[in-house]
Amino acid sequence: MLTTIKCELKSFEDLAHSFAVKELAANREEHDRYPFGPFFDSVVTKAHEVGLLGATLPEECGGIGQDISALCIILDHICAADASLGGIIFTNALSQEIILAAGNKDLLADIMGNAADARAALIACTSFANPAETGTTLEAVKIEDSYLLNGAIEYVVLGGLSGQALVPAKIKGQEGYSYFLVNLSDRGIAKSQPVFSLGLHACSAVDLKLVGVAGKIIGQEGAGAKYFNHASDRMHAAVAAVQCGIMKGSFHEALDYSQQRCQGGKEIINWSGLRMILGQMAVQVKIAEMVVSEAAMAVENQEYQWNLYTRAAALHLSELACKLTTDGIQCLGGNGYMKDYGQEKRFRDAKHVQAFLGLAPMKKLSIIKDMLA
Amino acid sequence: MISPKEDISLLEREPRFEDSFCSIQAVPKIPKIQHKETRILVSHARRFNDEVVRPLALKTDLHSFEDPEYLPWDLVKKANEWGFYTMFIPKLFGGQGWSLPSHTYVIEELSSACVGIANVIFVHYLGFMTCLASWNMPLVNRICRDVAEGERTGNPCLITLAITEPGAGTDVEEVELVDRGRVTCLAEKVKGGYIVNGSKIFISMGHVSTWHAVVAYSDLKKPSENTVILAVKTGTKGFSFGKHEDKMGQRACCASELVFEDCFIPDDCVLCDSRDFHNSPIRSTADLVNQLIHYVVEVTRASVGAFGTGVARGAYEHALKFAGETAVDGKLLINHEWAQIMLAEMYKNVIAARLAYVEANYSNSLNGGVLNFLQIKPVYYYMKFVPQTVIDLFVVPFYKTKIFNWFMRQVFVEGQSVEAQHRCSGWSSIAKFFGTDMGMKNSQMALEMMGQTGLRHDQGTEKILRDSKLLQIYEGTNQLNRLNLFNCLIARNVSQARVFEE
Repeated sequence: MLTTIKCELKSFEDLAHSFAVKELAANREEHDRYPFGPFFDSVVTKAHEVGLLGATLPEECGGIGQDISALCIILDHICAADASLGGIIFTNALSQEIILAAGNKDLLADIMGNAADARAALIACTSFANPAETGTTLEAVKIEDSYLLNGAIEYVVLGGLSGQALVPAKIKGQEGYSYFLVNLSDRGIAKSQPVFSLGLHACSAVDLKLVGVAGKIIGQEGAGAKYFNHASDRMHAAVAAVQCGIMKGSFHEALDYSQQRCQGGKEIINWSGLRMILGQMAVQVKIAEMVVSEAAMAVENQEYQWNLYTRAAALHLSELACKLTTDGIQCLGGNGYMKDYGQEKRFRDAKHVQAFLGLAPMKKLSIIKDMLA
Repeated sequence: MISPKEDISLLEREPRFEDSFCSIQAVPKIPKIQHKETRILVSHARRFNDEVVRPLALKTDLHSFEDPEYLPWDLVKKANEWGFYTMFIPKLFGGQGWSLPSHTYVIEELSSACVGIANVIFVHYLGFMTCLASWNMPLVNRICRDVAEGERTGNPCLITLAITEPGAGTDVEEVELVDRGRVTCLAEKVKGGYIVNGSKIFISMGHVSTWHAVVAYSDLKKPSENTVILAVKTGTKGFSFGKHEDKMGQRACCASELVFEDCFIPDDCVLCDSRDFHNSPIRSTADLVNQLIHYVVEVTRASVGAFGTGVARGAYEHALKFAGETAVDGKLLINHEWAQIMLAEMYKNVIAARLAYVEANYSNSLNGGVLNFLQIKPVYYYMKFVPQTVIDLFVVPFYKTKIFNWFMRQVFVEGQSVEAQHRCSGWSSIAKFFGTDMGMKNSQMALEMMGQTGLRHDQGTEKILRDSKLLQIYEGTNQLNRLNLFNCLIARNVSQARVFEE
């Protein structure tokens, strides 16, 4: 739907769609497997080569320089096939957005300029946590102009894959938190094995322990929440796009299956009870397309209270996606529960994605807080 | 005052008193000491949870991902040692004979810790109920004695029900649909038995079970009137296992494919053949097959409701623990008013789901319900206090007599009114789809409340969500159960209503 409003973005739609078909759809089950293997590395490398990892990154930083609409279009199409790559693109984009919000363009240009491969270009971060909500257990000590970080931090997404990570830490003796970039090959960092989780298996996270690790501060001391909130407001539109893609994937698989599977002497799509479920799913998908489109345009046009639109979009579509993907399995009956089909993965992924950027109920409370401010 | 005649007329209006208030009718008739059995069993289940289920639940789940060939022999052995496989088999068949309605409370307990492991135990009773519903006393006795022997010797002997086929899931659970379905499992009558060809899929615990109650058809063109249920033992020539499924959850409990290739089953292993059914004044052959299927699901769907309740409870307990330990926005989550309301909602879902399966139990305990007979006070006390050897000496020898089998059929087949069948089946469907929907709802709510922490496998909450989803699918999808409720308790009052006919 976005490409009918912004025709110039059609090429991104074509790119993401063909990438999803060629690189993701056929190997979805294999990419989702546990124990994890290096099976997704080639996909990430190709995604990097075609620019999917730098859609909103300014051109001077080595990106494509598009706004949030392009990112939403990419995520929508990628996630219809496999949301794990969507999770990687999302997390990396969130790190970039936080660094951009802090005004550190040069740092991003350095990272992209010096990156020999996709792994080196990726920036890990705690994309499921809002540090202001749950606090941070990392502590930074300032020694002259540099900082040393100590402590533990959980669930650093892409931490097992990328060259560097953006982590929140409290500077000793100060209020609030600050963001630091750390080199993940630093000897003072101990990484856990990738954390086995509900969904997005190929976009895994690790727990980190830091002992005397040098961190490069991002922006100003104590301003982490400000940068996170700005980036988060924009990236909620991307969360909505991820969920929209997952919903489309689930709906289309259910629609296809219901035309092939027979029960009671006819294709199950011809039983009105099942058709009603599909009808409800179709309504939800169309609503999702509209919501993503409006949220992305609200960001780009900097409409009044645009950040409320994006947050509402993410919250609403996350709820819809969790419901729709449950029905998506139900339409396939027992087959929907098996890994031979894509429905069970979409069900897990939708619930997983709902947790992006912090606790869902707290996000609802924050909308009212902002409205009253 | 209202006259007795008017009184009956008023109470027979919808919602009918008899269908709506099962508990207040059943409780006075139930032996008083039965609730003590339930207390003992719930306590036993909680100890089993502490010592076996909780230490193994996550490990087993993870191991099943690491080793796709994993089969739950270790869990089966443990459950066998703890006596779970004979616990609810009546003493009439050599089991421990604990009160059958109590099994749902045990299911809830075990499912609150791991519904996959709960299934490792209770799928066996789905197989047992299918055997029982055939009312073929000698064969049921033989199979159950094997289970008891397996417990005594430490070589577990489990029973499964094999009904689902690759092309027929919902169809095989409804007699009104099965003739239009694509069933392929053929049982051809030959001299001395049947030759079976075809396959069954999604058979829970198939690979690790010894006896399989296999639903096959002697005429694939008219399966509703040509249903044969065969007791097939693992190792029988022509019977083999295919793959077991790679499921999203409940991975402790394997789902197997059973393959039959010219598999000969002798007559003495035939639980029933619908062509031998004698039509009753109120039921045709197809209706008798329907009654048999519903005798099974009247119990097992209520059991799945208890699985759902347990899952809902497990999710609630995870969320509660998290809320009590985690600070959000500077204070413990449990002290946020919204979180308290959310937890109260989850608590309510557990209670309401429990009430539904308990009421289904009471419905099954009334006249015409499968649980009624063993709760009739003289029968109950006889079974409870008379030593097993006396039962073996003075009751079991009668199983092979015509008069005993005639008596059983009089009680359970002829003795069940259509109204009672509808009440029991309708209530079990309510318990099933409501309980499992609450399981799914609470799993979703727990993860919402826990955010990132809930996503991690090592926390166990995400496993509850994965496990929960299957409950809405098996034992008849929740959509089929809604239709069954409509068919049993709603359509009877609307003469123009037709089910499965659009």
